[in-house]
Amino acid sequence: MKSNKAGRIVLEVVMILLSLVFLYPLFLAVINSLKSFQEVMTDVIALPKKLAFENYSYVWKYIDYPRLFLNNTIVTVLGLAGIILISSIAAYKLARTKSRISSIVYFLCIMPMLIPFQSIMLTVLQLAKDINLSDSTWGLGILYWGFGAPLAIFIYHGFVKGIPKEIDESATIDGASGFRLFFTVIFPLLKSVTTTIIIIDVMWIWNDFLLPLLMVNGSPSTKTLTLAAYTFVGQYTSDWQYAMTAMVMAVLPSIIVFMFLQKHIVKGVVAGAVKG
Amino acid sequence: MGKLGRKWSERFEFGFFTWPALICVAIAFYIPFAMTIRYSLTKWNGISKHPKFIGLDNFKQIFSGDANFANASWFTIKYALLYIVLINVLAIVLAVILDMKLKSKNWLRAAFFIPYILSLVIVGFIWKFIFMQGFESFYDITGWDIFKLSWLGEPGPAFVSVLLVSIWQSIGFYMVIYIAGLQSVPDDLKEAATVDGAGPFRRFFSVTLPLLAPSVTISVFMALTNSIKVFDVILSLTAGGPGGTTYSVAFDIYRDTFQNNMYGYGTAKALILFVAVLIITVIQLTIFKRREVEA
Repeated sequence: MKSNKAGRIVLEVVMILLSLVFLYPLFLAVINSLKSFQEVMTDVIALPKKLAFENYSYVWKYIDYPRLFLNNTIVTVLGLAGIILISSIAAYKLARTKSRISSIVYFLCIMPMLIPFQSIMLTVLQLAKDINLSDSTWGLGILYWGFGAPLAIFIYHGFVKGIPKEIDESATIDGASGFRLFFTVIFPLLKSVTTTIIIIDVMWIWNDFLLPLLMVNGSPSTKTLTLAAYTFVGQYTSDWQYAMTAMVMAVLPSIIVFMFLQKHIVKGVVAGAVKG
Repeated sequence: MGKLGRKWSERFEFGFFTWPALICVAIAFYIPFAMTIRYSLTKWNGISKHPKFIGLDNFKQIFSGDANFANASWFTIKYALLYIVLINVLAIVLAVILDMKLKSKNWLRAAFFIPYILSLVIVGFIWKFIFMQGFESFYDITGWDIFKLSWLGEPGPAFVSVLLVSIWQSIGFYMVIYIAGLQSVPDDLKEAATVDGAGPFRRFFSVTLPLLAPSVTISVFMALTNSIKVFDVILSLTAGGPGGTTYSVAFDIYRDTFQNNMYGYGTAKALILFVAVLIITVIQLTIFKRREVEA
């Protein structure tokens, strides 16, 4: 029993050390973002002698950080709102309607989960140009509706099936119908599954790279955070201190949000994977 | 008459609720997919107004000797196999340890999960910096040859780098799935095995692992669908180099369409990727179904 306890302490220490090694690259990125060019070149591991916050003010202005942050927020919120709205109403109706058409529509809605994005990226861009959704932050947000809908419909559909039909019927007797019935009675019952979808979709859209690269790379004013960091590093291939500053600025929002919502995020990710 | 009216209003409502989703999905997938099929039968540089119809020539050319595509396919298969095996084994080991009653459990789980919330492109750049600059400093201190290796400059090590960074970024995701799976294994089952005199390894292989089967299925499925489409991390870490040895299929498609302007040819490859993914998914789902019946 005693050796068991000692073993556990050893294991604990080993795991903590391992976790620190695991996160060391992120630590290095942060300290090197606060160094001068000379310092980065001579020694990556050493702590900065003097905190070079001017790296941050330089990159902040150069890439217009507030603008990028706003763009990312617009795309994520607009995309998410659309996905939740169109998917929840469609999944509800499809789960409640028993007919051949309903099954076909459901199949058409979830089938695209099998299509890899890279298989259609060129033609998505062509189509987006034709219907004026390319080169615009709002357009990018709208495009996510269709890309996010299949998984969301799939998850909602499974959940709605578990809600007793009597709830709809009693609400109908009370005079509610159509959208009012859905939004006042059903939608509140979907809260937990909506949270799951919000978490997985925010992580996806906020960090997404390839679709923004195709759609909004034309002008600095429409870029997203990850995209701007990518182009920035391309221009500053050897100025590592600036590159690391841009990296840290790009990932910091995600890390801050994670620190506050850690439990919910992990739960949502697991639920999304298990249901999806 | 009333009944008929009701039927129409029901139909109307059905359409009202489902059309928005159908239209959006069609814009995102079906219309582009139809266009992909059409372009794959043409020769087109993306600029001229009229793509030239050439039938199945693109496909013939791809299968009869496209070294780029063959290399990229080989890379993707090797990468996917190693990724699926390694990430699942490592994640199970991590999950089993972090499922014990350790004091630092919450910190450890958060620490291993953090990279997963970061964008892969950014992660690729941070690691590029570690490989190019950081390893030099590590070598100065430790003198270990492993840090002197050109991790992004030679084919073998570059492949390992791509694999390593992908695993580093996503292991937290698989870990939490396995932890959730372990928590659904009833404690009295584990205890019963202890009473029967089973050691920790016996217990793991004969009790815990079989009960983890559903989590394994989910994780292997996710690992497969993600690894077969690998793109972002390669773009920022190696950009396909050295000597084009780390091009994945997805990256090869990207190169042909957007860098070489071979739109028709690129979409033909894209269609092949789709069929490959479809076949693999169907096989996976069949195995999935069979297992469900057994359970």
